[in-house]
Amino acid sequence: MEATAVKGDLGRIESRVAEIIIEELKLEEVTPSSFERELDLVDELGIDSMDLTAVVLVLQDEYGITIDEDDYPQLKNLRSIAEYIQDRIQ
Amino acid sequence: MSNTGQTTGATVVPLDRTASHDPNERRWKFSELLADEQMHARWEKVRKFFFLRESTYDMSNRCNIRCEGCYYFEGDKQFTRENRDPEAWRALMRAERERGITYVVLAGAEPALVPELLEVCHQEMPLGSIASNGVRHIPASVGYKIHISVWGSDETSARVRRAKRLLERQIDNYAGDERAVFVYTYTRENIAEAEAVIDRLVANDCKVTFNMFSSPVGYSGPLRHDSASLSATRCSMIELLERYPDHVLFSPYSAVAHTCAKGLHDLYRCSYPRMNPSTHIGLGRSFRQYRTDLNWDRAVACCVPDTDCPDCRHYASGSAVVTARLQRHAIDPDHFRAWLDYVDTYLAVWVMGYRKGENLQPVPVAPPGFMLSPP
Repeated sequence: MEATAVKGDLGRIESRVAEIIIEELKLEEVTPSSFERELDLVDELGIDSMDLTAVVLVLQDEYGITIDEDDYPQLKNLRSIAEYIQDRIQ
Repeated sequence: MSNTGQTTGATVVPLDRTASHDPNERRWKFSELLADEQMHARWEKVRKFFFLRESTYDMSNRCNIRCEGCYYFEGDKQFTRENRDPEAWRALMRAERERGITYVVLAGAEPALVPELLEVCHQEMPLGSIASNGVRHIPASVGYKIHISVWGSDETSARVRRAKRLLERQIDNYAGDERAVFVYTYTRENIAEAEAVIDRLVANDCKVTFNMFSSPVGYSGPLRHDSASLSATRCSMIELLERYPDHVLFSPYSAVAHTCAKGLHDLYRCSYPRMNPSTHIGLGRSFRQYRTDLNWDRAVACCVPDTDCPDCRHYASGSAVVTARLQRHAIDPDHFRAWLDYVDTYLAVWVMGYRKGENLQPVPVAPPGFMLSPP
């Protein structure tokens, strides 16, 4: 049960992060549900450091956490971002 | 409280002290900063250019003047073979575009000597800039920004750059040219003459920005800054900015960022490959500095190779390094406004057609994590 709850939370975080990325980067051909969870944001989506920082600032607001600049390499895809957030809000 | 400088531009001095963190300091949300109409509008204006990804290219190993402390003629890059084949450059530009580069900086030694290569680069890569001494006019068809290096009065240029009537020739070539930005490089020796030089440039309707002489590795000559010259330079920059806000492309925060006792790397952590081992994202991933033979070496790649990194306060470096530190500046209204001013300035200097807005943060603030020393 506990694992299911955690997984559910992770799913919600992933969806919300997807919404934020889509809105911040003005992506037009993807929706929160179709956003592939393991799509590499840098290698495959092509986002750069300034875009990532803009997303980070909104995520910090949304979840009340601090994301260190040195942690950016951990923010590889939707799933890893959601896990990073989940670790800090639990 | 924030690290806002309580002093005016005339009295702030270089800073060294790290700010202690106040646990009661209010932490601003990014959305709260953007709730301010001015900041929101400026943010939307500058973020349109987040797609810019630069690399730099030495175009020629020749120059028509020889300046003391020139970066190009330090190190071994000056001995690199020239590739003067326009089709080789065209292929390089296409390959660069393929790997995501959207902005080129054409530099060393003197790009104006190879106009046929500049044409090819511009045909393939529409956004970019050229670092030139301004002695020779670059054809109007090359629609890049042109940064013309000014190191003082004609008398100083004759002595330090071995070039006669240099400012006069630069103005003759580029007055009224919307591509041109005259880059006044402050050295330890030419601070007092900046006023007369900028007066003359403004009288000719030339746009001006400021650079700091940053010593090449091993250089300890008279141009290298010390704490007194850094302080005097900051005062001069801010005074000229206040006097000529329509012609001087700069901001109070730009003046602070480039005149601290600490260099840019110590203040902001340089993101160019030479100082940044990470290849995850940003400059550490995509930046290359090509030599005239069209090869590059990550170990030495930065915007001003062979600069002594601890002494680097170079305007080109700051344009990338300070800009990249958005997160550190989005901490309170003063710092965010200062960052927006800095980025607005950088874009006006480097991007054709971009118009600088009024500075939003008129009082100098210290870089995040540092304090302005009391006068």
